[in-house]
Amino acid sequence: MIETIAASRCPRCDMVVAPPTTYCPYHPVAMTPATLPGVGEIVSFTTLHTPPEGFRSPLHIAIVELDGGGRFVCHGAGTRGLKVGATVAIEAVDDVYYFSHLGAMERARLFWRRAGHAGDRVNAIARSVAKRVRSLAAKKTA
Amino acid sequence: MQSVFVAGAGMTRIGRRSEPLRELMAEAGRVALADAGVETPDAIVVATMNPEEFVGDGNFASHVATHLGYAGVPALRIETATSSGAAAVYAGFAQIAAGLRRTVLVVGGEKMTHLATPRVSEIIGRSIDPYERTYGATMPALAGLVTRALMTRQGVTLREISQVAVKNHAHATRNPFAHFQQAVTIEDVLESRIVADPLRLMHCCPISDGAAALVLTADRASVRIAGVGHGADTLAVRHRLELTSFAATRAAAREAFAMAGFGAERVDAAEVHDAFAPFELISLEDLGLVPPGKAGRATLDGDTSLDGRLPINPSGGLKARGHPLAATGVAQLVECVWQLRGRAGTRQVPDVARMLAHSIGGLATNNWVTLLERV
Repeated sequence: MIETIAASRCPRCDMVVAPPTTYCPYHPVAMTPATLPGVGEIVSFTTLHTPPEGFRSPLHIAIVELDGGGRFVCHGAGTRGLKVGATVAIEAVDDVYYFSHLGAMERARLFWRRAGHAGDRVNAIARSVAKRVRSLAAKKTA
Repeated sequence: MQSVFVAGAGMTRIGRRSEPLRELMAEAGRVALADAGVETPDAIVVATMNPEEFVGDGNFASHVATHLGYAGVPALRIETATSSGAAAVYAGFAQIAAGLRRTVLVVGGEKMTHLATPRVSEIIGRSIDPYERTYGATMPALAGLVTRALMTRQGVTLREISQVAVKNHAHATRNPFAHFQQAVTIEDVLESRIVADPLRLMHCCPISDGAAALVLTADRASVRIAGVGHGADTLAVRHRLELTSFAATRAAAREAFAMAGFGAERVDAAEVHDAFAPFELISLEDLGLVPPGKAGRATLDGDTSLDGRLPINPSGGLKARGHPLAATGVAQLVECVWQLRGRAGTRQVPDVARMLAHSIGGLATNNWVTLLERV
């Protein structure tokens, strides 16, 4: 399943930014809402070994150029073998975006590594499972 | 437009300092005023990036002015993140050029080493786009993204990047004001720990305390401000059209050279913002000092060393002189003034008539180019 990422487009220069902004960074013009598929190309990536407070080490960060134009900042489970220009999928886990195609185990691992209250985690797991089931059900009916 | 001259220059030793920020700024200010032979300036411009968080004091223009014994002298504070010092020089320059003031003291400083490194990184990181910060973006993280793009797209090598640090450390061994006064080898740099892959610890500037000051005047003096340029770009790095060149530097350079009426080929030496070693390579090309794609090679060949064709960062740069944030933009110009007056001691660049100082604010969101010439 491909995520849909909320974005916005400048009616004057057609620049697309994600997440959406009120005004175009380059023009004093109100943006119009847009959506982008969660698929794109790695522009650059890095790994932090001493990340800021609230993040676990190592922290993988990438800039991804989404199909449709906007550039997006996201996390990743790892960068082994990753190259600039590689095509990646972007998935949201508990409202945080990660690049690469993640298996269920990787999703769960990423999820548990994040700081937060136990209750929030359980709720988010439930939401995530429900989303999976719905998408599977949708596939079956199709 | 009224010509603006530099009558006095002064700075503290950069490094780990125990004195309060106001004392560091007073020390630099007094040295510059004594150098200029000025007892009381007409106005003061203060640059500090974040004294509210670093030292817990606000209203810092009045704080510094009163501490210096100039409670009655109009003082204002300027902030453009890590380029605040250069911005303050512009504010002083503009007041004199416009004929509003005749003599202005510009003093920049920062005090950070008393805080733990993660706290310092967090405070500096507040100059980054808030959304990118929620993904853990710090200055080294964004610099790491820029560096990987530079290596992949422009073919710049880690050896070329590391040589910037080796060169600037070598220069700083001749600078008694520098934070680090010891040489390093390319192996030391390449083997230092990874901070934000592919950036290593010794590609990054240190956390430093210090202050620097200039006295600007409408009265003829030995050094003139020939041009000042200011360029800007998006707060969010993901909104940039390119990662391996800074539009804010290119715009600032265009403006400064247009004001000065000469081009990059007339610059004899420069102080360039090397908070991260690869930024020196990017900036040399953005400033037009080196042709596109040649900065790495020029550095390895020694062209940018003290005895090279175009010495870059004779002071040791941010990498080795140190980077006390808002002091840096002023400290770069203090070095230029000393060089132009022939008073730079064992690191003197021979026959230097025109120098350029380049300062980056945030992740190249607010950059400055200042051109000085000997008169």
